Amino acid sequence: MSRAYRITVKESESRHLKAGDEICTQLELLEILPPEDMATLLREELKRRGFEEQDDGTLIRRDGDVTVKVDPCTGEVSVKAETEAQITQEAKREATGFNDVGPTERSLRERVKEQLKQDLERQFEHEQSKLQSQATEKLEKHLQDLTPEINDVVNQVTRDALKQKAQQLGTVKEISEDAESGSLTIKIEV
Amino acid sequence: MSSIATSPPPPAPSPSPRPVSKFEFNLLRITRFLLGHFPADQGLQLIRAAVPQPPCLSRNAVELVKDTLAKAMVLFLVRAGGWRNETFLRGSAPVPGRVWQRIPLEERILQLSQPVLEFLIWLTAEKVHDSKKAWDATPETLTPADELFFALAFDAIRHDPQLLPVLRRRAAFQRNPFCWLLAPGDLTAPENQPPQLPDFRPLFHEQRAVFLECLQRHLEQRWINHERTKGQISDWSKMRQVGHAEYATLRQYLEAADGARRHDLARFILRTNAAILSLNPTLAFWTGGLQGSGPPRLADRLETQRAALAVPRQMELLREWQARARVVAFFDDDYAASQLWKSEWEAVHGDRLVEQAQAVLATLEPLRGPGTTTRPHPGTDDAEMGSSTDRPE
Repeated sequence: MSRAYRITVKESESRHLKAGDEICTQLELLEILPPEDMATLLREELKRRGFEEQDDGTLIRRDGDVTVKVDPCTGEVSVKAETEAQITQEAKREATGFNDVGPTERSLRERVKEQLKQDLERQFEHEQSKLQSQATEKLEKHLQDLTPEINDVVNQVTRDALKQKAQQLGTVKEISEDAESGSLTIKIEV
Repeated sequence: MSSIATSPPPPAPSPSPRPVSKFEFNLLRITRFLLGHFPADQGLQLIRAAVPQPPCLSRNAVELVKDTLAKAMVLFLVRAGGWRNETFLRGSAPVPGRVWQRIPLEERILQLSQPVLEFLIWLTAEKVHDSKKAWDATPETLTPADELFFALAFDAIRHDPQLLPVLRRRAAFQRNPFCWLLAPGDLTAPENQPPQLPDFRPLFHEQRAVFLECLQRHLEQRWINHERTKGQISDWSKMRQVGHAEYATLRQYLEAADGARRHDLARFILRTNAAILSLNPTLAFWTGGLQGSGPPRLADRLETQRAALAVPRQMELLREWQARARVVAFFDDDYAASQLWKSEWEAVHGDRLVEQAQAVLATLEPLRGPGTTTRPHPGTDDAEMGSSTDRPE
């Protein structure tokens, strides 16, 4: 006589998931002074804004999960957002078998386990894409905040460079700046 | 007064068509299709069909194939641009005239070799999309005319989605620089990142350089069409793949041209940029067809959009050439060549093109201006997303 039985298999797994997104761009610095002098001005300005100089000459600032890295020599800026999380996922499956026909209990259990693994894999993939979205959102939001600051840095470096250049050309008589329009007027006597 | 009436000589009897077998007839029609003298739909149908191969071709068939190749390839080169009265460098001196006026006859003789006939037999005998026979040709053994023929053949067949993957696996096409110049996007498979490019340096010497001179206008029209149709690409990964292939091809081509001091052979890239950028296009011109929000990562979206601008990105390198040409002195060896380049640059208002290219590229650069361009939508005016940094003057 055929007897039915039910197998319930539970699997849980914990993984450390990481996701990241990064953009690279170039600062638009005018070549008012020689590249080394422009790099020095940029370095000083960035340090004033909380960037820390690294051994390789780059400057880095960490704003939470977002890292901003500037290479003052090349003007390359990279902004990187990272998210990570310890995720535990559980999956449960049931299967019914018969003691005299169909697969044996062991093979049925193996098959259910295999399906559970695939379920878990799908769940982790879903979590990974959620983390990825979070990282990208963070990056996009941070870029919006960072854009005016980077513009200010470029403007400040340009102003400083112009002042230095003016000093090299002759005696500076008068400097007037309009913060609102961003205009800078330097009168020099050659 | 007497007159002698003489009847005009009877007209020479027109030669009757030479008899050929069914296989040879198909082979001839395929040859004509590859060279643009037979309807594409019928030609592709013949390539997809298989006809039993005879042990050998008849003399009639061989002579007809030779005649077709000789006439059609010369006709193609002349029509593509050889007839134009243009100036190209010879040595380092500009030489004006049509191709047969600029180039001596011995450099214009086309030599086609055995792989061409083998390829035609393969196309006729096999169902190419389901071929059991592994036909290919070693690129090192091909003559310049063979390479050009294979490029034309690839160009004719590549529109068939089933035949294209079969051809692009063959070295005769994959390592053929002419193929890359004509259709770089079709030579890269989605799984091939980055694209494996052939060496472009041989293109700038001897007969291949003559072909390039003839092909300048043809390539210009081809690349303008590429650019115009890019706005219809809806798939992000396809755009990325095509853009990477185009950028790598143009960049390597320009570097090879620079190495060979043949800036005149980059004319088609300069003119393509002139034709496109003179329309003051926004980013949507290239990426307006992309559907959906694209890849989840901002970095990938940005890279795809940058890849789409493969052609305007070459203006930066051309500007460097122009800057170098400006400082060549009258007594320098390259003076005449630099003058030729400068005249071409000025004819298309190169400096203005650089500014226009930079303006389009700047719309893609994050951290410039008030916003970032991350998810373009069709119809969006990208100019609004561009940068306008307030700079002290």
